[in-house]
Amino acid sequence: MGISFQQVGYQYPTLTTKKWAIKDINVTIESTQEFVAVVGHTGSGKSTLVQHMNALLLATTGSVSVFGHPAAKGKPLTPIRKKVGMVFQFPEYQLFEETVEKDIMFGPLNFGQSKEKAKELAHQMISIVGLDEELLFRSPFSLSGGQMRRVAIAGILAMEPNILILDEPTVGLDPAGQKSMMDLFRTLTEDYGKTIIIVTHDMNVVAEYTSRVLVMNQGSMAFDGSPEDLFSNQELLDECNLDIPSVSRIVKDVSTAFGYSMEETPLSINEAVAFIKEKT
Amino acid sequence: MQVVIGQYIPANSWVHRLDPRTKLMGLLLLIVSTFLIQQLITMVGLLVVVILFFATSKVPLQRFLKGIAPLLFLLTFTVVFQLLLNRQGTLLYESSSSLNAYSIAAIVGIIILYQLVKRFVPVRFILFLSSLGAIFFALQLQGPFVIWAFNISIYEGGVTFALFLVTRIVILITLSSLLTLTTKPTDLNNGLEEVMKPLKKLRVPTSEIAMMIAIALRFIPTLLDEANKIMKAQASRGVDFEEGTLRQKVTQIISLLIPMFIISFKRADELANAMEARGYAPGKDRTKYAVFSMKFSDYAVIIITLLWIPGVVIFGL
Repeated sequence: MGISFQQVGYQYPTLTTKKWAIKDINVTIESTQEFVAVVGHTGSGKSTLVQHMNALLLATTGSVSVFGHPAAKGKPLTPIRKKVGMVFQFPEYQLFEETVEKDIMFGPLNFGQSKEKAKELAHQMISIVGLDEELLFRSPFSLSGGQMRRVAIAGILAMEPNILILDEPTVGLDPAGQKSMMDLFRTLTEDYGKTIIIVTHDMNVVAEYTSRVLVMNQGSMAFDGSPEDLFSNQELLDECNLDIPSVSRIVKDVSTAFGYSMEETPLSINEAVAFIKEKT
Repeated sequence: MQVVIGQYIPANSWVHRLDPRTKLMGLLLLIVSTFLIQQLITMVGLLVVVILFFATSKVPLQRFLKGIAPLLFLLTFTVVFQLLLNRQGTLLYESSSSLNAYSIAAIVGIIILYQLVKRFVPVRFILFLSSLGAIFFALQLQGPFVIWAFNISIYEGGVTFALFLVTRIVILITLSSLLTLTTKPTDLNNGLEEVMKPLKKLRVPTSEIAMMIAIALRFIPTLLDEANKIMKAQASRGVDFEEGTLRQKVTQIISLLIPMFIISFKRADELANAMEARGYAPGKDRTKYAVFSMKFSDYAVIIITLLWIPGVVIFGL
């Protein structure tokens, strides 16, 4: 088992009004080959939730355990951070070394890897994230925004985490960049056996890539299941202010216009095409 | 991270209603006076008045304590050094102390105990003070292997001067936090610009200085927020900001500072564009939305503080 939450609640200590940022969270996440999306309205507790997964925040009530290590005050948190890598929004801002190579090596060296091994990892990871090895010797600040983001992700991958958490990894990228970024994460789950957890607002991404969705609503977990189940539950979607993927909406509109009956909401273009073919 | 300066607390008290220019001038004059006062009793009197200001300003007492808290250790060291090193006036207390096997063992014990217990103590300062007291008594233990024997002697001058310094620092902190707690940053800034107006004759760019201060204050919380994010991002990469050797500390700080520099420059660039887009041109005259007006209480405060300084000097208070 990778990550397990039991009755977890969290209050931000600095807030004057004692409001639960998240409460009564029970969830387990496997250590390999899961592709999980965390969705929810702004301020629903998504970021707070994922920050518990690598012990950046420690639960006020309940308990979090990561690969058997308890994430609690006074316990060693380094093993947790090594197993669960976290990529924040706009990760390009965390780069600081003189060269890309050194920056990718920074994480592994902090976790006690030898210099040679870290160097090897840097060379390996830069090609996994789809960048040229030549870039390793350039300054990270001379790269484009998209390249910098890939370098930052390579820096986390080089720590060889089993689980990778990404907070809105595609924000600010162009459509082609978004697609290749998401394809990279799919490769990481399918070919490298990593579990990927992404926080996102983009329902198209949820429908196309992920196998499991966690829906946060006002600090509670409103749903934990497959995208198919989520997008066919209109009541829940309305309650949590969530959209359906564009493909599904088009098919829905077409169905209402032509009076087709819909049993299942199609989530991908192929499904949509099949559905329309069948009806006409 | 606690930043008390720049955190305005809305309320409706006479201090809040004072003109920002009055508050700035009053603060300046009272601060100058703390360096002219010669008698301890006058200093304590001024402290009482300043605390009365605070008490009637409807600002929660917690805020005041938060402002003082970071300075407690500095204050303690000032007091300790004054007590031990100042040798003016009559001798009040003397004890023979020495560093010997027993006292060294006791001091090491106290330090270890302090480190062990400090996690569980809500007010760490009290623990710190009592440990300091315990070390003072531990030094008086007699024992074998004397390395260094000395007398701890406390003179009257040390005590008065220590009290003098402590009251002065507390007055300074209370007054300046009172100013920022009861004045909106924009008002404070406009007030500052008005107060500096005479300097414009000397070609000092007062409005630009005021704008710079306003922007700096405005961006403190934003940058703290960014710093927090970067620290979290680096913590995910295995940086432990709480512990580490000196070498590791340097890397930790670099891993925070360089991203912060880059973010600040980027923000500055964006802000400059946004300001230009809204027609800001440095050096041009700008009209103001809020116009200040002096009331009776403003004149009263200014006259009293103005008379206070010559009073202090002439009567040697």
